[in-house]
Amino acid sequence: MIVNAELFVKDLPGQLVGSLEPISLLDGNIVEVVHNRERIINHRICINVTFEMEDKEQLCRLKDVWKSKDIIISQLGSVYQTYSMEYMLIGSFDGGMIEDMMKEAGRTISLDATDIRYSSKAGASVNRTAMIAVKTRSEEDLDMLDRFLDQKCRTSGITYVRGV
Amino acid sequence: MKIFVCGFGTVGQGFAEVLHDRGAMLRDMFEEEAAIVGAMDSRSYAYDPSGLDPMALVSRKKESGKVGGSGYSDSAEVLSSCDYDVLVEVSPTDVKTGGVGLKNIRCALGYGKDVITVNKGPLALRYRELVDLADEKGCIMRFEGSVGGAMPIINLCTEDLVGERITSIRGIFNGTCNYILSKMDKGQPFDQALKEAQQLGYAETDPTNDIEGYDSACKVAILANAVFGRDVTFNDVKITGITSITDEAVAMASSRNMVIRLIGEVTDTKLEVGPRLIPKGHPLSISGTLNTAQILTDLAGPVTVSGRGAGRTETASAILSDLMAIMDKRCRSRWAGSSSTIPR
Repeated sequence: MIVNAELFVKDLPGQLVGSLEPISLLDGNIVEVVHNRERIINHRICINVTFEMEDKEQLCRLKDVWKSKDIIISQLGSVYQTYSMEYMLIGSFDGGMIEDMMKEAGRTISLDATDIRYSSKAGASVNRTAMIAVKTRSEEDLDMLDRFLDQKCRTSGITYVRGV
Repeated sequence: MKIFVCGFGTVGQGFAEVLHDRGAMLRDMFEEEAAIVGAMDSRSYAYDPSGLDPMALVSRKKESGKVGGSGYSDSAEVLSSCDYDVLVEVSPTDVKTGGVGLKNIRCALGYGKDVITVNKGPLALRYRELVDLADEKGCIMRFEGSVGGAMPIINLCTEDLVGERITSIRGIFNGTCNYILSKMDKGQPFDQALKEAQQLGYAETDPTNDIEGYDSACKVAILANAVFGRDVTFNDVKITGITSITDEAVAMASSRNMVIRLIGEVTDTKLEVGPRLIPKGHPLSISGTLNTAQILTDLAGPVTVSGRGAGRTETASAILSDLMAIMDKRCRSRWAGSSSTIPR
């Protein structure tokens, strides 16, 4: 799940790190941090952090840690579950073709995040490999993307390998 | 229990050896002799209503290349002229037509004989027809060894997990492909890994059925019919083989802590065989020639089984378990009207 939290920490050295460290310790992934030094309320500075968390149980643990560190949680929002899947495409293609394919997918399927990586042997081999990591907000979106990529790859002569 | 064995290659001979080895156990359990009365290979057959020596059949096959002294032109004609209770059909698989195996099974069921088979062709092409025929004739047809060899899966799902709602079965159903992909994990190119599999006897001289996913597709079709109650054939399975998997793709998967495996997948709506990215450490990431399957159930959660997917004795062990199930059922029917207890 992706979570957006607005925190207020004491205006003391080390407080920013002290508020972010528990996220990593609980296997969370920090996506974005805004340290808003101009927004000070009652000698506390505002931190806006967006991060990914495994599940609600982990998020509850994080809230407990923050409270124990005297960090004030003023807002906890934009919380939603994400579903991730990895796909591998093997065949004769260039980066533009795969990016166009994913853009086309994005027009009908809600993709939260897409990360495409290619094998390094672009010129050395006829066949290339692309690894696509995708996050969606529903399993139905993943199913739709699976069907879309499967069909596109079959018509383009590309081998399609998906995760489980 | 009079047994007729059709197909006397590796599996047929393995079954004869296992039956010889476990004969006394069957006698003790069911108070009945389980005897091979007939055996047939592609060119010859042997038949003796009083029973044949299983080890003598194996020796004769090894020495002369033939199981019997009599030749034949039509296997169904031979089967219809012999007296037996159960047909063990282990002739070579033909996924295009069902081959002689389909003809033999139809013939046996038509005459009201029970059938045990590991022949995937007839089941992957004509499952519903054969099951309906067995029902109509009051016969038992069992085929545990047709999927996963010694790995229990069909009877596990239909008997042990009978109260569960099974939502999906995913698994590695071809040891040859798994061996090749495991070798590729260690840096071997596809061609070299295939050659090594052939040298070790894991892959046929013509490996098409394995590496193109056809063998796995047969098993997926059988599971869909037997476990999910679907009415599908081999031709309904969406198949992708492993021939286009490059060493570069395997290395890229490894860099993300994953391996590539050929996975067969069955659900109420899905029927697929194709390469999949599997996280290292996942039950489906196993290496070598083993088969494995993960059965997702509503009450028990995921149930994972693995075992040897092929082999002389291994496949024969699955046939033995089917034979014992048939003997048990026939024994119970016989003793149903009697006041005596069922032998054990």
